[in-house]
Amino acid sequence: MEIFKLNTTYDFISKFPGAVKLSIFLIVISLGSLFYHGGPNWGVEFTGGTELQVKFPQGPEVQFIKQSLAGQGYEAEAVQQFGLASDHEYLISFSPKVVSFDQIQDFKQKLNEVIGTTPEFAEAQIQRIDYIGPKIGKELVQKAVLSILLACVGILIYLVFRFELGFAVGAVIALFHDTIITLGAISIMDKEFTLAIVAALLTVIGYSVNDTIVIFDRIRENMAKSLQKNFGTIVNEGISQTLSRTILTGVTVFIVLIPLFFLGGSVIHDFAFTLIVGVLIGTYSSIFVASSFVVYWRKRKAAAAVQDS
Amino acid sequence: MRKVSRGWVITIVLISLMSLIFLAPTFAGDNLPSWWSKVFPSKGIRLGLDLKGGIFLLLGVQVDDSVELELNSISEIIKNDLTKSKALIKSSNINGSSLTLNFYSKDDLDKALTAANDNFSNVASISANDLNLRIQLNSDYIKELKSNALSQVKQVIENRVADFGLIEPSIQTTGDDRILIQVPGASQTDRERIVDLIRKTAVLEFKIVNAAGITEDVILQGQGVTSKEELAAKDLKIHPGETGNQNENYFLTEDKAKVTGESISDARISFDNFGRPAVLFRFKGDGAANFGELTGENIGQRLAIVLDGNVKSAPVVNDKITYEGTITGTFTPEEAKDLALVLRSGSLPVPVAVEQERSVGPSLGQDSIDKGRLSMIVGGILVILFMIYFYRLQGVVADIALLLNMLFIMGFLSAFGVTLTLPGIAGLVLTLGMAVDGNIIIFERIKEELNIGKSPLAAIEAGYSRSLWTILDANITTLLTALILFWFGTGPVKGFAATLSIGIISTVFSNVIVARLITNYFYRDKEISTVSI
Repeated sequence: MEIFKLNTTYDFISKFPGAVKLSIFLIVISLGSLFYHGGPNWGVEFTGGTELQVKFPQGPEVQFIKQSLAGQGYEAEAVQQFGLASDHEYLISFSPKVVSFDQIQDFKQKLNEVIGTTPEFAEAQIQRIDYIGPKIGKELVQKAVLSILLACVGILIYLVFRFELGFAVGAVIALFHDTIITLGAISIMDKEFTLAIVAALLTVIGYSVNDTIVIFDRIRENMAKSLQKNFGTIVNEGISQTLSRTILTGVTVFIVLIPLFFLGGSVIHDFAFTLIVGVLIGTYSSIFVASSFVVYWRKRKAAAAVQDS
Repeated sequence: MRKVSRGWVITIVLISLMSLIFLAPTFAGDNLPSWWSKVFPSKGIRLGLDLKGGIFLLLGVQVDDSVELELNSISEIIKNDLTKSKALIKSSNINGSSLTLNFYSKDDLDKALTAANDNFSNVASISANDLNLRIQLNSDYIKELKSNALSQVKQVIENRVADFGLIEPSIQTTGDDRILIQVPGASQTDRERIVDLIRKTAVLEFKIVNAAGITEDVILQGQGVTSKEELAAKDLKIHPGETGNQNENYFLTEDKAKVTGESISDARISFDNFGRPAVLFRFKGDGAANFGELTGENIGQRLAIVLDGNVKSAPVVNDKITYEGTITGTFTPEEAKDLALVLRSGSLPVPVAVEQERSVGPSLGQDSIDKGRLSMIVGGILVILFMIYFYRLQGVVADIALLLNMLFIMGFLSAFGVTLTLPGIAGLVLTLGMAVDGNIIIFERIKEELNIGKSPLAAIEAGYSRSLWTILDANITTLLTALILFWFGTGPVKGFAATLSIGIISTVFSNVIVARLITNYFYRDKEISTVSI
């Protein structure tokens, strides 16, 4: 079975300028949303504080939950729907000033009283309590960012060693491109940035690099085979030859992600959302960002060589 | 190329068998015969608290306090030495990791210098100028003090948690000053008790009571002083009272206790004359002798039993007591039981503070597991069908390789005792994506090779060999990333990296060796004219 005709070379190069515009547009929107929201919507793991995950039998209004708690003297920092709307699950977070560790027990009692006396909350269940001290949050962010940056350097070095500098830089640019746009999507949907999202972003980075390398590998193979050919043609052929694989792999990963998204439960839901966005962007960027950067890099090198002679 | 290598077949069968053995507890659970766990130590796949429910506590241990404690005790030792040689310390001052003692005379200073050099020259640098003696602890010794404090705290907490009778609690030190406690399956009611149990410093002191009063001021007036500092100069101290008697909200006692909980050998719950819960304790060795001396000299006086600075009870000493005593007060049975437990396990040498807590209710845990499992099974079946639909016989090959791959990964996870958390599942999803990708890369390549007119067998051969480096490049890059994340990451990042690393190695093996071997098996001894792909 074939989805794309073998031996057909599609012209991707001519689409590159348009793709660059699209990418810049998406990045601007992403950064804009992040800027507008004042950075990612950091979960309690990063900011410090107390967070509850509560499941209600029916879904009360977010505002109503906030007011009921405020009536008891507990001003929630944020009340957010979690998972699918039909789960009726909410994340309620408090700054450490409102609920400190020593107050959790007291707070829980009060909360249970509220649940008992408010008909809308009947049979609500506290499913999870997280408390994060202020020191830990900062450390988590620092370490996560440091390890991701180090991983990028590692990727860069391996690719320089296996390919050449232009390819390595292209792959890393694509990786940042994917991370920023995925972050943007999370920000636009106003989803909370939790540790599960960090794991999802790491997965997106892994997928993006994997996807890029498969295409690069074919370009390199074609370069060795046909030295006299125009580099643009070689890239077009490389992408076209791997196109079936790119699409099929994307589809397969989607087949796994869709059930996770709809059936996986509240915690996995946001995680799957991040992956779905990331895989889409990652597939696009392997072709239109990483490969187009390599073409640009080569052109500049060729121009510089002409100037030199 | 159609040879099916016997060596590889045996290897694969062996790895599969071992994986099954390691995984058996996960699937069979309690149905395994009792000898199984003796022969095979694996406990199956361990699920993290985020999936299973339970309590996760990260404690910050104030190890810096151990330096001050040590300097205090050095100061005390020198003071005792000097008392023998009739010298006096004018004042002492602790600043960071150094102790400065000030003296009235050069003579006293010299005596102190000799005493300090005799006792502490190997752990501190000692210098004297004017009438000051300065003792600066060595950095190596400070490090040792801190790490000792950390391991002592861990030991004490381990004792307490072990006695509490929880299932499989895990207590580890992380970094220089943290302790991670994980208690799977603990309920919300357990939570409160565990938190109390762990944080209780449990310093028990026995002090003779000088006076008791409703307010601190009453006591201060009684002594004819205006501040607690003045009391301290007279070696006296005020403790809040928790005896339940309104007239005794505060107690005045001596400052330093002659007998402490350190010499307790055993403690357990008992009941007082009114049938209220109480804690019975016994002394060991020197403690018994000291307690006997203390009570013997103070018959008719009141003895305050001070726990973590609060007077729990203050009975009148009727007789000399050497071996055992009782703490009464207003305890619930649980409180008395937990107090006995912390007294048995000893006191924390330095205070701890909870820096992070995560308690996941069992319902969420079970919900996560059920939904996670369902969605993965649905996804898995869809992928398997998709591969067969798209690649026919080769799809079957890919599916077999994929299932074996899953088996290997799960087996490895059990064998290495990796705890599977939500980020870990993320790592698995990426791994499986890459595994399927590996197969697709190879199959698409075979199609291409067929298309340029190669014979079926040559096309299969070329498909596998030409894809080899693509697969290796992609996987090595990912493995590299995973290893970096494992070294530098913490918590969730580490969990992700651990499953990903194991997954990648297993995936390369199943793509390059297992799938190839199965393909060879299907096409063995046959002159084929078409490839089912």
